[in-house]
Amino acid sequence: MNPYVTLIIILVGLYGLISSTNIIKSVFMATMIESGVILLFLNLGTWNGGVIPITSDVSLAIVDPIPQALMITTIVIGSTVTSLALIISIKIFHHHGSIEWKDLKR
Amino acid sequence: MVEAMNEFGVLYNDEARLYFQTNGFLETGSLNLVTGIYLDYRLLDTLFEAGILLVAVSGVSWIAQHDHIEHNPLFMLDRFKIPELFVSIARVLYPIVLLFGIYVVFNGHLAPGGGFQGGSILATALLILYYIDLNKKTNLTRIFFIEKVLYLLLLLISSLSFFTRGFLFTNVVSPDMGVAWQSVFLITLNVLIGAKVALGLTAIFIAFLKEGR
Amino acid sequence: MNILPIVWVFLPIITAIIMFMVKPNWIHGLVFPLQAILLLLFILYIGHLRAFPEDALLVFGGYADWIGISFYADALNLTFVGLTIVMFFIIMYYSFKANRKEKKYFFFLTFLEGVFIGLLMTNDLFNLFVFLELTSLLVTILIAYRKAEQSLKAGLQYLLISSVAAMLYLIGVMLIYYLFGTINIRLVAEMMSTYEDTMLMRVAYGLMMAAWMVKGAVFPVYAWLPKAHGVAQSSISALLSGLIVKVSLYLIMRLHGDMFGQPYGFDQVFFVLGFVSGGLGVLFAMTQKDIKQVLAYHTISQVGLMMIGISFGSGNSYVGGVLHLLNHALFKGLLFLAAGVIIKVYNTKKVYEIRGLFQTMPWTATLFLVGILGITGAPFFNGYVSKTMIKYAFADDALWMILFQAINVGTMISFSKLLVMFTGQPKAGIDVGKSSFRQHLPMTLMAILMLAIGLFYQPIIQTLYGFTAYDVHIGSLASLVDYVLYFSLGLTLYYGVIRKDAKPFQQIRDFTISFPSLNVWLLAVVLVFLGLTLR
Repeated sequence: MNPYVTLIIILVGLYGLISSTNIIKSVFMATMIESGVILLFLNLGTWNGGVIPITSDVSLAIVDPIPQALMITTIVIGSTVTSLALIISIKIFHHHGSIEWKDLKR
Repeated sequence: MVEAMNEFGVLYNDEARLYFQTNGFLETGSLNLVTGIYLDYRLLDTLFEAGILLVAVSGVSWIAQHDHIEHNPLFMLDRFKIPELFVSIARVLYPIVLLFGIYVVFNGHLAPGGGFQGGSILATALLILYYIDLNKKTNLTRIFFIEKVLYLLLLLISSLSFFTRGFLFTNVVSPDMGVAWQSVFLITLNVLIGAKVALGLTAIFIAFLKEGR
Repeated sequence: MNILPIVWVFLPIITAIIMFMVKPNWIHGLVFPLQAILLLLFILYIGHLRAFPEDALLVFGGYADWIGISFYADALNLTFVGLTIVMFFIIMYYSFKANRKEKKYFFFLTFLEGVFIGLLMTNDLFNLFVFLELTSLLVTILIAYRKAEQSLKAGLQYLLISSVAAMLYLIGVMLIYYLFGTINIRLVAEMMSTYEDTMLMRVAYGLMMAAWMVKGAVFPVYAWLPKAHGVAQSSISALLSGLIVKVSLYLIMRLHGDMFGQPYGFDQVFFVLGFVSGGLGVLFAMTQKDIKQVLAYHTISQVGLMMIGISFGSGNSYVGGVLHLLNHALFKGLLFLAAGVIIKVYNTKKVYEIRGLFQTMPWTATLFLVGILGITGAPFFNGYVSKTMIKYAFADDALWMILFQAINVGTMISFSKLLVMFTGQPKAGIDVGKSSFRQHLPMTLMAILMLAIGLFYQPIIQTLYGFTAYDVHIGSLASLVDYVLYFSLGLTLYYGVIRKDAKPFQQIRDFTISFPSLNVWLLAVVLVFLGLTLR
């Protein structure tokens, strides 16, 4: 995807973090920022005529495999952070009965 | 070709890509260069990625535990009924997804895939079982135990290369012994990672589903 | 022998897993031999490094250093690793009796030690990201460990803002990889001078620095810190304030100092931000009524002081800033641990309800007093050395000196509030038996270390950094008189102004930043930094 489109995804995620009053929405917007960054990273080193890096032929011009390998790790990390954030949100709901940020101030 | 990767007028630095293009297959023995990177050049990242799954599973299960001090718990499980259609289709899907997951794990070094991807697919297969039967009994302690044993095995096999080749965290078999022997290491690691990811994701999901009970 | 750094990383992790898998609870005692082994390996490695300095770079897999992951050891991170081992030992000893039945507590704590040492030793930008996210996750779990209402909320806010900051950092890493083709910090530092200054490099720099501002709780994105440090258990608060929040300063020294080579005049930006952070921190700390909140807001102020010192890059102020890092770990840790004992015994957190400390718990009271003396910069203690050294570079500039002394007076005001606890009559029904000897031993150790650094600072700095600190005249009469004067100024200001609890102070005390507004500040910081670099 075009790098500029992924920048828009990241900015929308940031705007969502600023304006969401709901805890689950904030978690979701953080996940959106992560997805946007991953997509932005995957744009590196690829171009329209590149060969997929599953080859033993050293003369073919492959796309860069390093961003893809780094992003495998990032996706797993992002999903674990999201799962922990969500379980904490569920516990907050059980404690307070509400899932808005402003209801949490005592 | 390189000119196409121009962002804001600055040229993309090509050195790493050329290095993997010429030496990737020779040094790691895997056709899939991405698997070669995360299982050989950057094995340390993979070890800590498996570690973060371990921590997340323990953390989620600790926080999800019901503590009798909450004011108004509202469990979704008490008012949820699975449709019959879903159960029937799931019965057909379960072996297919399981087989596909195992295929992706084993062929990580020859085709797109690998430990993490195949592990997620395996986790999906195991979770279908939970959707079919909501009251399925699980021994979470045993899952945690197996997961930690798998992680220790992963650490052990990754460090074996210190004794055979003198360097830590790389392939046990050196490249001049042939691609076939190098693939043994890659397949073993992929299987361990796949099993660990599958168990981990299933455990996280169970903690959410049972909501601590 | 040169693989010892990775052994330091994995030994705690393997111990944590073994402790979790084995059923009986006495296995938790394994943490103490672990710390002893780590200390031994640490000393061995330093000895080895003196003899073979080329072994400092450790590349995994035997590949070329621009392709594989590497660890690099120099004076900067080795001192941090030593501090980590000492602090974790103290925390584990302190909390051993209270938590000895809890498997998961020790699992998370020991795992955190391994991951944190890895964060300090690594030389690879993406590996840094992985360790950073691991640390955030573990710290969140430890903050929310007791699952009380406020700790869950604090943990969630910390996790979300930390994750967003790490994503900004990741964009910076991506741009560095785009430009240099490698993500090895040392290699990028060497290649940096030959590369022309393009817009992408500036954006990368701006984003990375914004991420560290969040992790280090610098103004204006500090709001997660009082919530997180105020509601966690005392041992975890000590660990957080003493160690984890400092990692952002270490990374500023690494990335801003070593890798980028102090570009774009950001030294001045950090200098000013340090002052603002320092001033606001003490302003908030003065008005709080809860012991832990006072200490937590005060951490923000001290981190500001460290940034003032570090922004100079070299010389007496820089070494003073780094020394203040070590000192602050010791005295803030001591204060939090002692506060934990006091809160447990008195069963309340409010300062005005705790009275008569010297009568009920004389030893704890003395240790708390030693902590206060250290943090306010009394001569003969270590706080005095580091604060005087930080002042060195701008000692001629009147404006900054006045501001710096104002921050110091603010520190004294906030701690005069805590001095109230020592006098008066204690309430009835205090059970002193709740504290134990086991908790006092590590605190005494910290107090002794503070005194030692204060008295023998010159040989210590010489061995650590190879730098001859200028003589801060610890024994001179002028410094003692100086200190007493400032302290009396602080006391009078406290009794005259703060004690009245006027309306503005109540508003300052209740001023909290909610999570959405915290993100507004984050966006503001990112935009301001990008604007500053791109000009």
